[in-house]
Formats: sequence, structure tokens, C-alpha cells
Amino acid sequence: MEALWLTVLGVLTAGYFALAGFDYGTGLLLPFRRREVALRRMNPFFLGNEVWLVAAVGVLFAAFPRLEGELLSGAHSTFTLVLAGLVLFMAAVQLRLWWWLVFTGALMVSAGWGLFLAHLLEAPWPVALVMPVLFAVHGWVFQARLWKVFPVTAALCAAPIPLAFSSVDVTGLMAHPDTLGLLAWVAIPVIPLVVVLQWSIVALSSR
Amino acid sequence: MNAVDLARLQFALTTSFHFLFVLLTLGLVTLLVVMQTRFTITGAPVHERMTRFWGRIYVINYALGIVTGIVMEFQFGLNWSGLATYAGDVFGAPLALETLIAFFLESTFLGLWIFGWGKLHRWLHLALLYLTALTAFASAFWIMAANGFLQHPVGYRVDGNVLRLDDFGALLTNPAFTSALVHVVFAAITAGGVFLTGVSAYHFIKRTPEADFFRRSLRMGVVTTALATPALIGAGFAQFPVIERYQPGKSDAAQWIGAPLGFMILIGMGLTLISWLTLPLLIRDAVIRMRFPLYLMVIGIPFPFAAAVFGWMFREIGRQPWLVYGLLRTEDAVSHVDASQILLSLVVFTTLFVLLACVDWALIARAVRRGPDVAPAPVSPLVVTL
Repeated sequence: MEALWLTVLGVLTAGYFALAGFDYGTGLLLPFRRREVALRRMNPFFLGNEVWLVAAVGVLFAAFPRLEGELLSGAHSTFTLVLAGLVLFMAAVQLRLWWWLVFTGALMVSAGWGLFLAHLLEAPWPVALVMPVLFAVHGWVFQARLWKVFPVTAALCAAPIPLAFSSVDVTGLMAHPDTLGLLAWVAIPVIPLVVVLQWSIVALSSR
Repeated sequence: MNAVDLARLQFALTTSFHFLFVLLTLGLVTLLVVMQTRFTITGAPVHERMTRFWGRIYVINYALGIVTGIVMEFQFGLNWSGLATYAGDVFGAPLALETLIAFFLESTFLGLWIFGWGKLHRWLHLALLYLTALTAFASAFWIMAANGFLQHPVGYRVDGNVLRLDDFGALLTNPAFTSALVHVVFAAITAGGVFLTGVSAYHFIKRTPEADFFRRSLRMGVVTTALATPALIGAGFAQFPVIERYQPGKSDAAQWIGAPLGFMILIGMGLTLISWLTLPLLIRDAVIRMRFPLYLMVIGIPFPFAAAVFGWMFREIGRQPWLVYGLLRTEDAVSHVDASQILLSLVVFTTLFVLLACVDWALIARAVRRGPDVAPAPVSPLVVTL
């Protein structure tokens, strides 16, 4: 049961960083690229990418209730930064507000995830730079349509936080098997369904 | 103010802002289902243009509402870690089901609906809107189930110093959940009806050339409001016996708690009365030719939103000092975080949300002023503001 839920959480978290990573990367590179083209290329992916985070936090809450609160409240100000960045970034991208707002939002989110990584590893703050750099590279690969390199940068973006997280001991922090059994019936079919549907959005919009 | 007060204020503000978006999203998606169904069956262009115009407003509102929803979800872990620790096994289940079934799927269906416009078979495209609406209501279902548990905990057993899920079915038949769910659903449909009426009235005040388009929209808005409000009020009053039985001290939780309740009831009664009085005036467009009711319709737009916030104030403040009624006190659930950190996030998020609400209002107002397009244009908000 423990391994199953760590896998579900890992898949959702990795999915979020691999997908939203190139959104943030696109945002970070906006000052150096043709902005309209860059943003338009991101359009069909955008809404789908960000919801992986919502699903991951939902699973974190229900399957690891005694971990979720400690993890989030233990890095309160870091998450304030991530969330404030997300609010700015999502609103600015979807509504085509000013491009520098897209950039600022992306910078806040990626710096925030970097700080969270440093917090998990108990590493000094310069480690935080890892995430913005990885996102920027991933965004560049996405924008340049280097599809052969894309899985590599996606994996690089997805790996750090789940790996750092794996040092956390979850024994005794999980929900009761009764709750987990109930959730499994829903969580496990929903993930592949969403993948197929999101894939169809991309396929449709390129038609 | 200490950490508890700050965290409570932040929760109240985040939830209220979030719910304003939710209300319009749920209300509009219901009406869109009707519009697009009529278009799919009849093939009449006016129904397609209605779906497009109101759909664009719906999508703008959804795009910004999603953002407030993410902050909402994180807030439980950030400020109220004691809730997850103590009751996460029970309360977490409906919350996670909401994020997975409803939210995760809903945005995906909506994305397909937006990008599939004109590219998919029209029945398939309609099915996507039905699925979006269904998952949107599923969202309300699970959130109200979670909230119902906080109001009147059921289906749990105490195991050491935490709660365990004992009977999931009990969560779904919880009397504090069922009548409140119906109440919320009809509140959203009422908000959608009043919004449709008000926006259409605005166009008549501006002497729109799109008379047929807005006549249909206005009628739909008035009829929706007239049909939804009696059910809204019925489901509202149906909750009093439940409160009487399970939360007898609710009306005494704060001295002024009766005020929001009173305002909410007043607004509900007012909307019912006005919408039924307007129904006969729809004959031969009397209400449009009289003109002065049009101004009242525009002024009426914010009222269902205000009523909803008042309703939540009564429900949530009335539960105090309990977070999980009778089991977990609010002050015991707050995270072990410095008050200054909560204050920082409170200031940051409140500022951002006020801005978001203003941007939402400005963008909707712009889409409204532009009116329905003569030439077809994509529904996505990604394009509308270009």
C-alpha cells in the first residue's frame, strides 16, 4: 500500500514538473524570444500542465495526511512565494496580460521550487538555482522543438524534488488502509484517462 | 491578532473570493449546456452565437477561478496542518476525490471543449460540455461533503488521537451535507440567471442592434431565476431543522451572526418575488419597452454573490469555536507557524485576489461590451484579449 501511494504521488509530482517545467521555462526565456510565438506554442498545453499540481496535493492530503501539513507549513514562506508566482503566472499567461508579468510569475514559481528543494535537502540556498536553470533549459528545448532531447530535460526537471522527497520517512504518516483502498479505485483509473485526454487536446490543436 | 485570527481571516477571504468565481462558473456552465444543446439539435446560428458569447465569459471566469482554487487547496496544509493530522483520514477522502475526479478531469474536458471547437463532431463537442458541467457539479458535491463533515462529523471512529474513516456512505447521506448541496447548486444557477438577465438588460439600455440575441438571453435569465429561486429558498429553510438538531448553538456563535443570515434571506426572497413579477412582463417584451426595469436588472447582478458570501459566513462562523464540530477546536488545528508568516501570506494573497477579482470584472466587462461576434472567433480566453 505504501509503495503504491508513493508511486501515485511520484507520478503526479513528476508529471507536474515535467509538464509545467516547460511553461515556466518559456516564461523565463520570454525576454530573449519572440514573445507572441513562444506563448502561442504553449497554449494547448497550459491548462493541462498546471492541474497536475492540484492532483498531487490532493493525493498528498488524503494519502499522507500527517505529512502534508508538516511539509507545507514547514516551508510556509517558500510556498507563499510559489503560490503568489503561480497566481501571477497563470493569470498573466491565460489572459495575455503584460509579458513581464509572465516572466516575473515564472521566476517566482521556479525560485520557490528551488528553495523548496534546498529546504528538503537542507542544503545552502544557492542550490535553489537548480530549478530555474533546469526549467529554462526545458523551456528552450520545448520552444526549439528538439523532441529527441525533450524527454531528457523533462526527466531532469521531474527528478530533483521527488528524489529529495524520498529521503522523508513516511512510516506512520499515511492514512488508514480503509481510506487508501477507497481512493485507489478512483486515483488509479483517473491518471491514465487524463493523460489520454490531454494528449488529445494537443493532437486536436495541432490539426 | 494572533496566528489563529490571522489564519481564520485568510481562510475567510480566500474562500469568499474563490466562491465568487465558483458561483458564476457553475451557473454559466448550466446555462451553456442548455444553449449548446439547443444549437446541436436545431442547428440555428443564434444558439451557436449565444454559446460562443456566454462561453467566452465562462472561460475567462474559469481561468481566474482555477488560480484561487489552487491557493485554497494549499491553505489546508499551510495554515491548518492540525486538521489533516487529526481528521485527514476522513476529511481528506472527499477532498482528494474532488481534486482527482472533479478538478483534474474538469479542466481537461474544458480544454478539449475549447480546443475542439469547430474541429470535433458537434454531438461529441456537446458531450464534452456535458462532461465539463457534470465534473463541475461533482466538484461542488465533494466539497460540500467535506464541509458537511466539518459541520456534523459522521462515518468516523476515534483511533488513539486521530479519526479513522468508518463508513464512507455516511459522509454522503450526512444531513448537514445533502440540503446544503442542493442549496449551493441552486444558488449558483440563480447567480447565472441573474447574470444573464443583467448583462442582456445592459445591452438593451445601450440600444443593442442584437435585439433577438439579447431578448432570448434575457428571457432565459429571468425564467432560470424564477425556476431556481423557489428551490434555493426551499433547500435553505430545509437546513434549519438540521441546524436545530446538530448545531443548536449556531445562532449564538457570535452576536452579529443573525445579520448576514437576514441579508441572505432578504436577497433570496427579493429575487424570487422580482423574477416572478417579471415573468408576465416578458410577454411582447413589455419589460424591455418599459426600460426602467432594465436598470434594476443591471443593479441586481451583484446580489446573488453577496447573498452567497453572507450564507457562508453564517454557516462557517456559526460552527465556531469548532473546526470539526464537537471534536476539534479551531485554535488546536492551526499550524505551528509564526504569526508573521501567516500575516505575510495574508497580505500577499489578499492583494493578489483583489487584483484578480478586478481583472476578472474588467475582462468580463470588456467581453460584454464587445457583444456577440458577427464573424466566428475561437472561444479561448487565450485569444479573446489579444
